[in-house]
Amino acid sequence: MEASDLHGHISRRFNKDIEDLRNSVLAMGGLVEAQLSQAIAAVVSGDSELGLQVAHDDYKVNNLEVNIDEECGRILATRAPTAGDLRLIVAIIKTITDLERIGDEAEKIGFLASKLAAMDRPTDSYRELKTLGNHVSHMVRDAMNAFARRDVNEAFEIVKEDDRVDEEYEAITRQCITFMMEDPRSIKRVMNVTWAARSLERIGDHAKNICEYVIYMVQGRDVRHTLGSDDAQLGLD
Amino acid sequence: MSIAARKFLIGLILLLGAGAGIGWLYGHADWGLLAAALLALIWQARQLLSFERALRTGNFDDFRQGEGIWQQIFSRFRFEHERAVRRKKSYRTLLREIRKSTNAMPDGAVILDAGNQIIVCNRAAKELAGIKRKKDRGQRIDNILRDPGLGKLLRSGDYKSTIEIMSPVKDGDWLNCRIVPYGADQKLLLLRDVTERMRLAKMRRDFVANASHELRSPLTVISGYLEAIADDDNVPETWRKPLVQMRGQTARMRQIVGEMLELSRLESAGPMRSDKPFDVPALLESSREALGGHANTARITINVETDAQLRGKSAEIETVIINLLSNAIRHTPSDGEITMTWRSGEDGADLIFADTGEGIDPEHIPRLTERFFRVDRGRSRGDGGIGLGLAIVKHVLARHDAELSVTSEAGSGSEFRCHFPVERVVMTPAIGLSQNCNISVT
Repeated sequence: MEASDLHGHISRRFNKDIEDLRNSVLAMGGLVEAQLSQAIAAVVSGDSELGLQVAHDDYKVNNLEVNIDEECGRILATRAPTAGDLRLIVAIIKTITDLERIGDEAEKIGFLASKLAAMDRPTDSYRELKTLGNHVSHMVRDAMNAFARRDVNEAFEIVKEDDRVDEEYEAITRQCITFMMEDPRSIKRVMNVTWAARSLERIGDHAKNICEYVIYMVQGRDVRHTLGSDDAQLGLD
Repeated sequence: MSIAARKFLIGLILLLGAGAGIGWLYGHADWGLLAAALLALIWQARQLLSFERALRTGNFDDFRQGEGIWQQIFSRFRFEHERAVRRKKSYRTLLREIRKSTNAMPDGAVILDAGNQIIVCNRAAKELAGIKRKKDRGQRIDNILRDPGLGKLLRSGDYKSTIEIMSPVKDGDWLNCRIVPYGADQKLLLLRDVTERMRLAKMRRDFVANASHELRSPLTVISGYLEAIADDDNVPETWRKPLVQMRGQTARMRQIVGEMLELSRLESAGPMRSDKPFDVPALLESSREALGGHANTARITINVETDAQLRGKSAEIETVIINLLSNAIRHTPSDGEITMTWRSGEDGADLIFADTGEGIDPEHIPRLTERFFRVDRGRSRGDGGIGLGLAIVKHVLARHDAELSVTSEAGSGSEFRCHFPVERVVMTPAIGLSQNCNISVT
């Protein structure tokens, strides 16, 4: 399906409203992606200024969420959309909530980065966090791509990706526990690393949610909490 | 009327006339006319059917079967048709060649319409930016490349600047985006892989920063010992002069190292993050106190023509003021005059340093902000100039979206003008912070 499929309304104004709404969701997605990659860069390079900047810029994401939410309410009230349009609006309302949460997690990671920058750095420069971070930022990016292209197959792929993120998170936690047992003086630092990893893992979950909304938006099927079972996959193609 | 058409009409009239004449001989002129008309109709219908069949099957050789005016129509149609086919073929070949060459281009190219929707893109754009050539047609480019910077650039309408965005395909790669408007309101988005360039620039910055940083500690040790030795009364008189010179030169080296560190910090810092409004005149005043007032310096006047405030980092702007003022002092004789002006207008605010000093040759002006550039290579370096001051000024101003322009006439003085855009200027001090929070959804 293409973006032009949305242009099927008699009212041009309605077309434009829906198109604008979709564009602003994607713009919000772009901002969140940038925030996330900067937060990860701040942790990895130990740049406290960048970390604080990310934390400070979260207000932009929040403002966008409020604006888009308002616009959705307006369209629901004045246009009473049905079928595909209604699903699009519902999916958008849910997507921006998850995007805003991702923004919040990025803010947290930014704060943690500024704290970690002041502490001893391990020799591996937080390579695990970087790997996990890259993984989840790919997920967020692909989720937004799936949203833009209304690509159900890609959405399914990303949903499956979440399991691997969970595994990586598990490995980091275990490693952190080992560090803390070996050297109790490092507990404070390693706790922060754990928190950052936890935030990244949550971001993976939010990206997965967004993909589920994409599937709902395009196919009208609610696949939440059902993926993994065989019948959810059946209607894929 | 063409010959064929005239022949056709005459033939028709003759046929009908003959039919009517034969009918009249037998006493039934109307029947004769009717029979002739039927004959004409059957003949026409045959021609029409054969024309239709030729069109349908594409077998144009049947055209030859046409007779009279139909032959004319057939051959005319065939001629036009063959010409159209030939033209189409040549266009197609040309298009294929063009497409081949755009696909061979190493840079990504995306053609956008007025609403920034993708019309077509080449293969490199697909590889560099992950744009799907069929699927993304009609999709807005900033929905696919969602970097906030690119969206801003597209909305700004100012296509002179370019930006670097992170590659959405490969981690750690960078793409340079340039927008070229053409036609009515179409745009061409050019994407270039600048990973290598960014990596080299970073290496250079890191090298300068690390080298300066590493030089700092040995210098501190050397200058510390020099201080101690110079203060020692046991030092023989013959060593006094060398010691003073050594102290002077280490102080100079420390200054160079310090400024190089400052410069590399400014370079790697990216765009300005702090945007608190502050008063400029206070900085002018304190710089005048710090630098002026010696017996052999020129007279310094401060002109404040506006109560506008500037948004940015006051410490960095202070560096700009001190650098420009000390330059002016150094190049202006003690009976000269230096004027610092702070004024604002419709298009932003200006900070102007005018002096009545020796001036600068026009050919040197474009190179002034290069590192270690000196107008007069032979001049003694004892006057305190290092050659990094204006480079620092340029970087600080760039971070504040400002521009430095220099006008000068050799012999009668120079003017350094820092122009700040409207967004950086706060007209009435009270509303400074509330303006930060409006962002638009587009």
